[in-house]
Amino acid sequence: MGTFRLPDLGEGLAEAEIVAWHVKVGDRVAVDQPMVSVETAKAVVEVPAPFTGTISALHGAAGDIIPTGAPLIDFDDGTVVGHMPPTSVEEFVESATIGNGGGTSARGRALPVARALAKRLGVDLAGIAGTGRGGLVTLDDVLQSAHVPASPPAITKLAAQAGIQPQPLRGARRAMAQTMTLARDQIALSTVCDDADIDAWKDPSDYMLRLMRAIAGACRAEPALNAWYDPADNCRVLLKHIDLGVAVDTADGLLVPVIRDIANKSPAALGAALIGHKNAAHQRTTPAEDLRDFTLILSNFGTLAGRYATPQVVPPAVAILGAGKVRRDAVVVGDAIAARRRMPLSLSFDHRCVTGGEACRFLAAVIADLQEAE
Amino acid sequence: MVEAIAMAHGWEMRQDERVVVIGQDVGANGGVFRATAGLQERFGKDRVQDTPLAEAMIAGMAVGMSAQGLKPVAEIQFMGFLYPALDQIVNHMSRMRYRTRGRLTCPVVMRMPHGGGIHAPEHHSESTETMLCHVPGIRVVCPSSPARAYGLLLAAIRDPDPVVFLEPVRLYRAMRQEVVDDGRALPLDKAFILREGTDVTIVTWGATTIETLRAVAELDKEGVSAEVIDLATLSPIDSATILASVAKTGRLVIVHEAARNVGVGAEIAAIVAEHALYDLQAPIRRVAGFDTVMPLFKLENDYIPSVQRIVDAVQLTLAD
Repeated sequence: MGTFRLPDLGEGLAEAEIVAWHVKVGDRVAVDQPMVSVETAKAVVEVPAPFTGTISALHGAAGDIIPTGAPLIDFDDGTVVGHMPPTSVEEFVESATIGNGGGTSARGRALPVARALAKRLGVDLAGIAGTGRGGLVTLDDVLQSAHVPASPPAITKLAAQAGIQPQPLRGARRAMAQTMTLARDQIALSTVCDDADIDAWKDPSDYMLRLMRAIAGACRAEPALNAWYDPADNCRVLLKHIDLGVAVDTADGLLVPVIRDIANKSPAALGAALIGHKNAAHQRTTPAEDLRDFTLILSNFGTLAGRYATPQVVPPAVAILGAGKVRRDAVVVGDAIAARRRMPLSLSFDHRCVTGGEACRFLAAVIADLQEAE
Repeated sequence: MVEAIAMAHGWEMRQDERVVVIGQDVGANGGVFRATAGLQERFGKDRVQDTPLAEAMIAGMAVGMSAQGLKPVAEIQFMGFLYPALDQIVNHMSRMRYRTRGRLTCPVVMRMPHGGGIHAPEHHSESTETMLCHVPGIRVVCPSSPARAYGLLLAAIRDPDPVVFLEPVRLYRAMRQEVVDDGRALPLDKAFILREGTDVTIVTWGATTIETLRAVAELDKEGVSAEVIDLATLSPIDSATILASVAKTGRLVIVHEAARNVGVGAEIAAIVAEHALYDLQAPIRRVAGFDTVMPLFKLENDYIPSVQRIVDAVQLTLAD
């Protein structure tokens, strides 16, 4: 009553060659009993009986090539149904068996979303060994099996071809790569930019000290940016002291030494601390404790080039202020255009913890302080 | 099938004198479909009693008789006339064992024709099994062949707890099958695999078993190997058989004549989603009656799942 077709043997092969039959017409076979050996391009496979029944016909002899899906074996369940024609509904009704459950999964078990993705990417689930519970095929399993473009050509190989020695990332450079990857993945970065008119400054070169003073003032006006944020515990810590990380560009990479408690230090002490840290950074003698626990970061990249930027916040801090290259701009003063020295400012903040309003109030306070003559 | 049902009555009444038959016209007339034909002549008016046209009374009488040690088999003339008896079934029959802490059970069989397809008037073609399946303590059985009607009715009468026995009217005289009157019961709470297959599992029960098997014969010509499960006992559901089949085929289509909304098919779909979601290769599909009242006979064949609707659903499922 049923035809068993050569199944897809799970290797994506279109056909198989019959090696030897283990059964003959008239045999009663039990489920899972080996019926025939077939040879695919990869291996000799035993094809088991799909159900219990009596064999009424075998299609093909040893040496024959059978396409996948073609009839292999005809079964007759042996039920004699009297006068009923062989394909009648009543015959099927007669051959009822009482269900008993207990079967095992015959195909790959997969998360529905993994199944959908596999279909979209043209991945055959049967060829995937699931890594989930009980062999469950997961999204990652599908992605790994997908024929997505291979990873970029091995850089080391290309370098060797060009005769260039690759440089392993070490120390500060390696730390930067890790920290920035983490920061990019975790932080909801927003940046707001503005300019401070510093034309009135009496000492036109004292950028760092003025910036530190402005930051201290802005933290009083808007404490939300001098903070640590812990998304795992869903809390923020508004800090009383300001430990300012100062980005220092060195030949070995970016270092961010920390100047402690800038709000309560004299300008002279701040200036001395700054010089000490910079020298230590360039000499690679900065102690580890001076690189930890900053509450805010200042990057004065304007000494090199660049007006605005999107400085990267580094957790657990929630803000970083970038100061760009100071130059004379044509600006409207009163009703006239005047040439004024201006400092471009870029304030990045973690929008998970800081509101746009808080960031803008902070920036406004920084600008207000910077625009003082001294 | 109707003769197999009468035969099962006869066998069990001969074997067990506690078995009594009650209902409107079951005696002298032999039942509206002749399912109790000849029983009153053989067993007398004490054991085959005609009742007034009062379903609540028939069910209540069955509860009382069972409490006094009898095993009543009560006939409701059509499922659409069952509703006055629901109070007795839900409030008394289903919970007699619970209420008496197991001292009394309620060995009643409530038999009634189920479904449409015989050009009957309004209220005569209902398939509202889901209302009964929702009630704890009630077993609901629906055979789909003469042999299963015979074996399952014997099991239902012998069971110490109440069974609602739904008899698909379309099958009463639709098929001929030799049934040996040997008193051998078939198991309750077990589904029957009518046809084994590998590509898709179709679960159905009652009269739509016929449309399903016809659809499967069509699909067979296209090389689709469908496994057909006759649920037979609608409550409790034989989850193990369904889950084993779905594990094998990875696809499930449910066919029932009753309206789709909150039908027994929804419960089956939920069971498979809970226990075999990761085995499924495609969404579960239901082919069911529509969420309207059962139409009069001019439209009833549009309501009952057709062979074409079943074939279409299976093909959609296989295309996923």
